[in-house]
Amino acid sequence: MHNSKAHIWFIAPAIILMIIILIFPLFLAGGISFTDYNLGNKTFEWVGLENYDKMFNRKTYVKMIWATATYVIVVVPISVVLGLCAAMLLNSLRFGADIYKTIFFLPVMATLLAMAIAWEFTLHPTLGIVNSFLANGCGGVREFILGFHWMPWVDSQESWYAVACANNMDFPYWLKQKNTAIWTVCFIGIWQAFGFNMVLYLAGLTSIPRELYQAAEMDGAKSTWEQFKLVTWPMLGPTTLFVVTITTIRTFQVFDTIEILTKGGPSKTTYVMMYAIFEKAIQQNLTSIGAAITVVFIGFILVLTFFQRYVIEKRVHY
Amino acid sequence: MEAKQYIGEGWKHAILIIGAIVVMLPFYMMVSMSLKSQQEIQSISGGLIGAQETQTFPVCVKTGYSEETCTMKPYQYNYWFAFEKAPIPRYLMNGVIVTLSIFIIQVLVALPCAYALAKLRFYGREFVFSMVLFCLLIPVHGIALPLYVMLAQAGLVDTYSALILPWTISVFGIFLMRQFFMTVPDELIDAARMDGMGEYAIVWKVMLPTAIPALLAFAIFSVVAHWNDYFWPRMVITGNRDLFTPPLGIREFRGGIDSDEFGPMMASIVTVTVPLIVAFIIAQKRFIEGITLTGMK
Repeated sequence: MHNSKAHIWFIAPAIILMIIILIFPLFLAGGISFTDYNLGNKTFEWVGLENYDKMFNRKTYVKMIWATATYVIVVVPISVVLGLCAAMLLNSLRFGADIYKTIFFLPVMATLLAMAIAWEFTLHPTLGIVNSFLANGCGGVREFILGFHWMPWVDSQESWYAVACANNMDFPYWLKQKNTAIWTVCFIGIWQAFGFNMVLYLAGLTSIPRELYQAAEMDGAKSTWEQFKLVTWPMLGPTTLFVVTITTIRTFQVFDTIEILTKGGPSKTTYVMMYAIFEKAIQQNLTSIGAAITVVFIGFILVLTFFQRYVIEKRVHY
Repeated sequence: MEAKQYIGEGWKHAILIIGAIVVMLPFYMMVSMSLKSQQEIQSISGGLIGAQETQTFPVCVKTGYSEETCTMKPYQYNYWFAFEKAPIPRYLMNGVIVTLSIFIIQVLVALPCAYALAKLRFYGREFVFSMVLFCLLIPVHGIALPLYVMLAQAGLVDTYSALILPWTISVFGIFLMRQFFMTVPDELIDAARMDGMGEYAIVWKVMLPTAIPALLAFAIFSVVAHWNDYFWPRMVITGNRDLFTPPLGIREFRGGIDSDEFGPMMASIVTVTVPLIVAFIIAQKRFIEGITLTGMK
């Protein structure tokens, strides 16, 4: 034990910054959300729940909730499953795993904004390689595979691919069409996120003791699938929980791709929450409604993390 | 090895190669476009690098350069013109200034606090630690709006401070360092005290050197996150080009100043993306460690 007062100087800067930068803004957002305050106004009035009322009743905000939910519900499971599959494949390879690992991790590292623009050109109807690849494949193997002609119930004259080929190569304008934009943005989200999950799963896989697989085999779990069900999946429980939580929180915060590629359109199908906050509060200077969205947003995140920490965490640890 | 296993291995590689091609598509597109001429880009011809024929570029002539200056190979032109059009070195320098300032301040704040939480006994320590745990739950991007209002009231919008201030506190850094310091034996600190070292000297001369591996991971995490961050700079930098970070520079390039020419635009994007990617490929293991270890944020 010592009597110096050094600790005060050590913790004071951190405490002051935590209060000013992290805790006070929570209350500020909450406060503003009950007013009609706009940045630059001298005065404001308390309006009660009016901003929240708008949020849950106006079409725009209902679409916002939909777009955000769609994005999260699509991107999280697919990027987690892809990450797991990639990790298991790499783990079972005899050679070359490191190269794939580097490639799959590149999107995590690269500036997302730059990559969004690169995707925009890749998916462009006249300049992009994706649509020219599709157009060159009309009547060939590509049409058969990607048009799902191998599925018994798909009519090879009526598939989306055949129709596009017949209509003078009318392939989708992926990012500008109402029925494809949100899925294209989801695809870019998955492309960016799965490498990160893969690396976390690779770490999780190396920590599973070999003996468990031998024991499972003795108990009669011979096939890869049975061993996966019996050993790998349960042992990866904590990793999965961690991966799902992180991916969800990151996915909720999607902004870069939306702002640069769709601006929330077409007809608000990609109008996610972070973009809504930016558009309402910064571009249209509707600070109070932006604050209300912020409060709901933070609410989602806090509920999710609490759920992870105190409810599920108890069940996945052995 | 049996033939069956070879086939299995072959299938795995086939799947992974298809995956790798899809992952690499935009990178290919980006590099290829930054090397080719406008005609080659528009007709999707020329493969990865194009024919590289020396030619005179009309947009360049229109801008006011002599025809002689504007005659060169497409790849030279794209990169040269990108640097002529926008102050890219300035953007890169801003990126370095902002990311380094953020990292240094984060360490200056977090390290002593982590030391106090791990190794000093004082009244209220548990409370401070639970405050750190609570703050871990708050995503800074989520509270961007109230932070923006505060900065606007303080008249700090469009300054370096606006880019740096909200990130000066990294509760994750405190948490990480505290966990690390818990593993440092008390004897080391006691010995230092016997030698007459003060608490300040202990933090910077004893604890800091032991924490280098953890700090390095944290540095990579912090620098990558803030170099790539677009949302926050987009909020607080409205028009002053002198303060643009690399992502804002990219956006401006795309925003129409020469949307009739894609080569130079892609060249600027490549220039901004390359430093991190090269660093990643050189020190891959450390990067993956850093980003996943601290991925908790």
